[in-house]
Amino acid sequence: MTGDEAHRIAAELLYREALFLDERRWDEWLALYDAHPEFWVPAWRTDDTPTADTSTEVSLLYIASHLELAERIARVRSGKSAASSSLPRTAHIVSNVLAEMEGDAIVARSVITTQIFNIPRREQHIAITRCEHRLAAVGDGWRIKRKKMLLLNDYIPTMMDFYTI
Amino acid sequence: MKPIDIEKMIDDRPNDGIFRVHADIFRNEDLCELELKHIFEGNWVFVGLECQVAKPDDFFTTYIGRQPVIVARDSGGKINAFLNACRHRGAMVCQAAAGTRKHFVCPYHGWAYDSGGRNVSIPALAEGAYPPAFAKEDHNLRPVARFGNYRGFLFASLNADVLPLEDHLGEARTFIDLVVDQGEDGLEIVPGTVNYTFNANWKLQIENSADSYHFVPTHLSYIQLLGQRKTAEAAQRPSYLSNFREVDARRGSFTFAHGHNVLWGANDNPESRPLYRDIESVKRRVGEMKTKWMFYTRNLLIFPNLQLLENASLQIRVNRPLGAGKTEITTYCIAPKGESREARTLRIRQYEEFFNPSGLATPDDTVIFESCHAGQQSDLVDWQQGYMRGLGAGDPAISPEAVELGVTPVASISSSAGICDETLFHGPLREWRARLTRALGGAPT
Ligand code: FES
Ligand SMILES: [Fe+2]
Repeated sequence: MTGDEAHRIAAELLYREALFLDERRWDEWLALYDAHPEFWVPAWRTDDTPTADTSTEVSLLYIASHLELAERIARVRSGKSAASSSLPRTAHIVSNVLAEMEGDAIVARSVITTQIFNIPRREQHIAITRCEHRLAAVGDGWRIKRKKMLLLNDYIPTMMDFYTI
Repeated sequence: MKPIDIEKMIDDRPNDGIFRVHADIFRNEDLCELELKHIFEGNWVFVGLECQVAKPDDFFTTYIGRQPVIVARDSGGKINAFLNACRHRGAMVCQAAAGTRKHFVCPYHGWAYDSGGRNVSIPALAEGAYPPAFAKEDHNLRPVARFGNYRGFLFASLNADVLPLEDHLGEARTFIDLVVDQGEDGLEIVPGTVNYTFNANWKLQIENSADSYHFVPTHLSYIQLLGQRKTAEAAQRPSYLSNFREVDARRGSFTFAHGHNVLWGANDNPESRPLYRDIESVKRRVGEMKTKWMFYTRNLLIFPNLQLLENASLQIRVNRPLGAGKTEITTYCIAPKGESREARTLRIRQYEEFFNPSGLATPDDTVIFESCHAGQQSDLVDWQQGYMRGLGAGDPAISPEAVELGVTPVASISSSAGICDETLFHGPLREWRARLTRALGGAPT
């Protein structure tokens, strides 16, 4: 595959993921993921070094199964979680996409800035992340095998979840 | 600032079966100013752990109330805490969160201090035509008024007129011991910093951790999810199953002097805990009884800013008011040194899942605090009614658990879970009132 082709596939998938999150199309969002995905927001060890090992260091969010992603969606839909019941309006802005082939996988680096509007509080904030998507070919399409989001502003206003990052 | 009558903030008449709290204590900015001055900057607060400054010249920076401080181990090995403010013109001499430095050199005019806070250089001192009086001044970074270390837990006070640290902690130390003694070689912090804020008063957080009444309604989505995991593929992912769900589980509390308290719950599934892998060696070291307590759910408050929480796993949660309606939380995942990699990973997953601001439990609390803060602005709803559950249960006698642990708290309650006692909140509030009353020149009650 050419670099242009990898870039086209990656950019389209990243935009699509952003769209599904912003339009709260959770099932379609989840369907973008591989059956054994990893969804990871490292924490910072020091001012300059993020955590690197999820088994010996704390992450801001670490999900390593399809089941747990599905649980998050169920929690949003349950109506029984105060944190998830007045969902913010979000816009995931995807930029700086650079994609490369790594063996059979496409690895796409990007900057994703999520603009988050908290409706009841009438307040907004942003989550600034540098992302790395690892895409695997599944059947005739591509799925997200791993998404790593390095949160640059890790002074978190109240809460974060899969849809605010 | 208009005068505030602290005594009028709490309607405390236990003999009449009354304990009410005025909403002003959660919303009044002038009161928050007094709290910062007299509670956070006027008495002992937790500042960090000894393991954060393990080697000579290690340091970390933090805040006591609004005031920036450096905690550092000097080259000789002694741990000190001093204000992070240059004696020349007040610039912070260190911006980093943590590190190892022999010297702190002020970026402004280059005054330098060693890791013990002593001034070691004033550039161009000889040429400076300083008057004689200058030489008589102390140029060292200003040390905190009192500094103490209880088993690796570091505390500081900006006011010298406080109790010795051990007396301040009193018998609440038993519950720090139950954490420190889990590892043969003590505790360590699992790397990874977690900081968040919420737009509500800091006291909502310290009350929430002592509040068993909220657990089921607030965390229903989490409880349901845990229930489904029992049956689903979830077996592959051991997760903490809260014993708060089991209404019959024995549960209780201790109120200690000086505002400290503990909510505890018996634990019917100790095998879900990372420490379970080492249970035999723990028993040999501390005995059956203490081991059992290490597996109980325990939410300890060391008034005003330290919470040591063990349920899903072990958390240090430190609160700092940024205003009446804004609180900063810093958390640490702590663990016995030298536990197996498997236990460590389980601990980390449980910690993230329960306690993180991205977790399945904590965000439901913090979002509700914000909703409380909004509701508490209502002028017509001044007296809060959330302090009376359990007040009709009669004298809080010494519970069998107090006898078992060999402590004599101010109050200890032990019951079935249904009572969801709220008298546990009274201790911190009475300490709050006593400190502010004393600071404002009134007679302590
Ligand atoms: S303010 Fe520090 S040297 Fe001048
Ligand atoms: Fe809670």
